[in-house]
Amino acid sequence: MVNEELTRHLAELSKIEFTDDECAAMTKDMESIIALMDKVCEFDSSKKAYALDAVGYNDLRADEYKDSYPTEKITSNAKNVKNNSFVVPKVV
Amino acid sequence: MSLADIRKKLDRKEISAVELTEEYLKKIEETDGKINSYITVCAENAIEDAKRAQKTIDEGRGGAFTGLPVSVKDNICTDGVKTTCASRMLEDFVPPYDATAVAKLKDAGAVILGKTNMDEFAMGGSSQTSYFGGVKNPYDTSRVTGGSSGGAAASVAAGLCAAALGSDTGGSVRQPAAFCGVTGLKPTYGAVSRWGLIAFASSLDQIGVVAKSAEDTGYILNGIYGFDENDATSSKLAKGGYTEKVGADVSNIRIGVPKEFFADGIDDEVKTAVLKAVDWYKSLGCEITDVSLPSLEYAVSAYYLISSAEAASNLSRFDGIKYGYRSGLGEDYSDLIKNSRREGFGNEVKRRIMLGNYALCSGYYDAYYKNATRIRTQIRREYADIFEKCDVILTPTAPTTAYKIGEQENDPVKMYLADIYTVTVNIAGLPAISTTCGYDKNGMPIGMSLIGRAFDEKTIISVCDRFEKDFERKEAVL
Repeated sequence: MVNEELTRHLAELSKIEFTDDECAAMTKDMESIIALMDKVCEFDSSKKAYALDAVGYNDLRADEYKDSYPTEKITSNAKNVKNNSFVVPKVV
Repeated sequence: MSLADIRKKLDRKEISAVELTEEYLKKIEETDGKINSYITVCAENAIEDAKRAQKTIDEGRGGAFTGLPVSVKDNICTDGVKTTCASRMLEDFVPPYDATAVAKLKDAGAVILGKTNMDEFAMGGSSQTSYFGGVKNPYDTSRVTGGSSGGAAASVAAGLCAAALGSDTGGSVRQPAAFCGVTGLKPTYGAVSRWGLIAFASSLDQIGVVAKSAEDTGYILNGIYGFDENDATSSKLAKGGYTEKVGADVSNIRIGVPKEFFADGIDDEVKTAVLKAVDWYKSLGCEITDVSLPSLEYAVSAYYLISSAEAASNLSRFDGIKYGYRSGLGEDYSDLIKNSRREGFGNEVKRRIMLGNYALCSGYYDAYYKNATRIRTQIRREYADIFEKCDVILTPTAPTTAYKIGEQENDPVKMYLADIYTVTVNIAGLPAISTTCGYDKNGMPIGMSLIGRAFDEKTIISVCDRFEKDFERKEAVL
């Protein structure tokens, strides 16, 4: 059952802020989307074994040291940089 | 004009690489305002690239791609050129590196004309969720292009590039190619490196090609396939030579036609045109077999659960700190992230992230995500069974043709259900190609798809090419 409490919980997990109006609209959307997703619950998986990992990893490269990109290039897309560091609000 | 014909003209110096690039840039300037297929046009870079290409040709060192003008979807990283994913979140993002597929084309001398418009973060089938405005169909500008690679498909259909790189997570190359009357190839998962393709759903994403013909899609794939140590899922099984079988006799090909793809929900005109193509192959001597993919009924739900779960994880990197949109609101760290994501993402992206976290969160994981992955295994098994008795599978690409802008893209469930014929290919990691097989009463293109065995792009390209050689395609007039 999708309700605004569940939407708020998912919003917290998703790290997205919603206003009350946005939360109500998202709850309505999620209700119809989850109803569509309920179809997978009808799938009978009791008769066969199913692997959960569907993607194979091929020829993983050796774990070796390589030069990375220059700091200026990496920080050039950040909105707030000081002394080669990303500036964030105080956390402690 | 085919890519091979453009190649000949360049090599014979009937046109220079610079003149060719200037022609495309001029056409983009004159007509793209009507369809909005490009987000960024790289005019200056393109001319410089073309000058270098011409020098290479003049020195007799030109190769298959030297001087070929192509477009690149705006979720594929380009060093020093904005890559926005059609999102406010990445409105100003300039990647510090090229995606492997882009680097391969650039190293081979191709000219990048610009970055094409798309659904935000490739989540959509209409190309109307772009932060930079929707893309319009060159056949009828009141209609959608399909998506998410709508800009790529429209740019090819309108003649605004010679070919385009797109990406396909659940049909995002094939469906817009169908809607825009061009050819779209989704290669086997692992055939083309995903390094530099901004991740949406990593187990499903694949870089693909939109072009004027099946042969041209193979031509471009020849330049971008191959193992890449930067992508742990890229494969050494892709061997190239994708146009080798073009022109070969296809009358011995066994074609499977799955009945579930022609059941409820398909437009009559689409059904008629695709079945007519089946008859055409039969008249060539191909063996037509009725086959079945019983789990198709679960495919859309399984696809949306898996892709959204992966998207929820992949998009958690967008926090407004290291790159991307940063909100001015928020007193503390957590608020800054939440507000940046609220203001930076559009509604559809938020829905997918929310759905993904629903599928993964405690209490729902077993019933939703785990079952979706079991369905993925089941669909793979059903395809493997079909390929025991067939060489290719023929299906419609989409249940409808391009619809009017505003008609259904605000109804998420309706939009999701429209992906029914394309998502199983990504779920199974197979290659598939879409081409035009007819036109509806409004003159809009109808697409059919040919699905092949893993890493057997050669066969579907050849079978598709044979049809295209006999089919009269109508050009879009803008």
